[in-house]
Amino acid sequence: MADHVVGLFDDAESALAAAGRIKASGIGQPELISPIPVHGADEVLGPKKSVIRRFTFFGGIIGGLSGFTLAAGTAVLYLHPTGGRPIITFPPFLIITYEMTILFGILATVLGFLISARFPALRDRVYVPEAAVDKFVVTIQCEGDASNQARMILGEMGAGDIRQWNEATP
Amino acid sequence: MSTEDRSMRFADVNDDVVRSLVVTGRKYYITLACAIAVTLLCFFFPWFYQLYYGIGAAGMNHPTVWGTYLASFIFWIGLSHSGTLLSCVLHITNSEWRKAMYRSAEAMTLFSLMVAAMMVMVHVGRPWFIHWALPYPNQMEMWPNFRSPLLFDVMAIGTYLTGSLIFIYMGSIPDFAAVRDRTTGWRHHMYVLLSLGWRGTDTEWHRLGWAYTFLAVLIIPLAVSVHSIVSWDFAMSIVPGLHQTIFAPYFVVGAIYSGTAGIVTVMFVLRKYMNFEHYITKLHFDNLGKRLLVLALICTYIIVLELFTGLYIGTSTEYEQLKYKLTGFYAPLYWEMILFCAVAPLLLISKRFRTSFVPMLILSIAINIGMYTERFLIVSTTLSRQYLPETWRVYVPSLVEVSILVGSVAMFVTLFLLFVKIFPSVSIYEVKETMTQPARKRGHAEWQTT
Repeated sequence: MADHVVGLFDDAESALAAAGRIKASGIGQPELISPIPVHGADEVLGPKKSVIRRFTFFGGIIGGLSGFTLAAGTAVLYLHPTGGRPIITFPPFLIITYEMTILFGILATVLGFLISARFPALRDRVYVPEAAVDKFVVTIQCEGDASNQARMILGEMGAGDIRQWNEATP
Repeated sequence: MSTEDRSMRFADVNDDVVRSLVVTGRKYYITLACAIAVTLLCFFFPWFYQLYYGIGAAGMNHPTVWGTYLASFIFWIGLSHSGTLLSCVLHITNSEWRKAMYRSAEAMTLFSLMVAAMMVMVHVGRPWFIHWALPYPNQMEMWPNFRSPLLFDVMAIGTYLTGSLIFIYMGSIPDFAAVRDRTTGWRHHMYVLLSLGWRGTDTEWHRLGWAYTFLAVLIIPLAVSVHSIVSWDFAMSIVPGLHQTIFAPYFVVGAIYSGTAGIVTVMFVLRKYMNFEHYITKLHFDNLGKRLLVLALICTYIIVLELFTGLYIGTSTEYEQLKYKLTGFYAPLYWEMILFCAVAPLLLISKRFRTSFVPMLILSIAINIGMYTERFLIVSTTLSRQYLPETWRVYVPSLVEVSILVGSVAMFVTLFLLFVKIFPSVSIYEVKETMTQPARKRGHAEWQTT
């Protein structure tokens, strides 16, 4: 069962500084939990790459292809010649293609978001309710000596409250 | 909120929003009961009457086979056009003032789209066959005609509804989590499910930021396409007065115009009755007013352009159509539209007017009355006078149609009233971003990267 040390800060800057020092001390990778997105988190905690853009891009492409196939395939399978116009008429079919590109792009973006942010959460994870209000929280998974060291750093950096968290006592 | 009250704390925002969700006064229940009653009496009862007696219960007949139902459909789709679109544009341009008001604006989009979809159900006469419009394999071997603008509509509106629903939901996940921690009972369970287990970690914020921006970028062109496609329902016909290339931009501008006016109305109501005075301020009304003014001027330009296009075409049918619009049976409605949509909004030049709440409310309602009239005129002035004079016939909506129009407004109000008790109607985390951040205390150890 993973133990976490949790430090609550009143401002983002101190929390970020504490997270940076913990990371530099080599205890482990700290996590920042905050009521608002914290600017500069990437610089301290390391850059993040997300797969969402790939989901959106390929979702859009698959959508576009399906849209055009749907419209053109229907026209080919159920022939309905009108006024000597071609069976596969691009201008109207491109509209269907366009709409389906966006629809699949949107759905794939959602899927990418859920997968990359690991939602929905099926088990308890380290969390402090105050982080949804006004506290900026630094958490670090550690045990024994590392835990004491983490507590010391959090205390030095000005954490208002330092707690222990594990799955049994959320 | 950003400008008026710097003394507010982060916790106050949570308190205010949670209060708006869980504390419900008698006034709310009375309003909700009235809205539901009017929806049932004025929308569903006449609709069932029409289903029982046939579509003849509505005043539509040859040659005006598209009446107020279709006018209402365009109107509601139009009203939906500012919420999500405005929110997306302001999101990618980083506008701070968007943050307190976008959630309700997006809800407006969602509910007007739902009401618009209901108007189609009412219009088609036999709504139990509505699935025939969807492309899926079936034993009748019947597939929709992908060359028809009506099918473009089904695809575009379906996509827009899905996109808007996802956009408003995704932006609300952190707020659901904030509310989850403060509620009990069934509400708590509901928010646990809705928040998906959101914690607010740096990784989650990062993913949300990207996904939200991608959605915004996808939805902006989608919204423009939706109303362009609605306009092609008309413009692709060869009816004089409808067969015009200006229709797509005209509809899109009209939609954003009417939607922005709708947002002003909704903001006034939220501010006044949900006690969000600290969040929705004069700044929002001022900015919305400026936007309305610009849109009014573009709209006026297109109205004038439409007249000139009619004149320059030079055919007798177009000329007759134009004359009928300006001086015929429906002329009073046309001039009312000009007054409400082109002349009255000029008041917005004055900053004093833009920052006065009640005048802005009155103007926003007047603009939407004008825009509804404009939609009605598109259908009625053109279809009632087509090529053959012996088929000319004036169209007047029947009691059933008028009642369903009133009922559709009540349905929108009902949906919105339910929304304000489920969704945090002001975005908690984005309002906090606009507030003064808690400052670092002096005397704590610094962390050096070196």
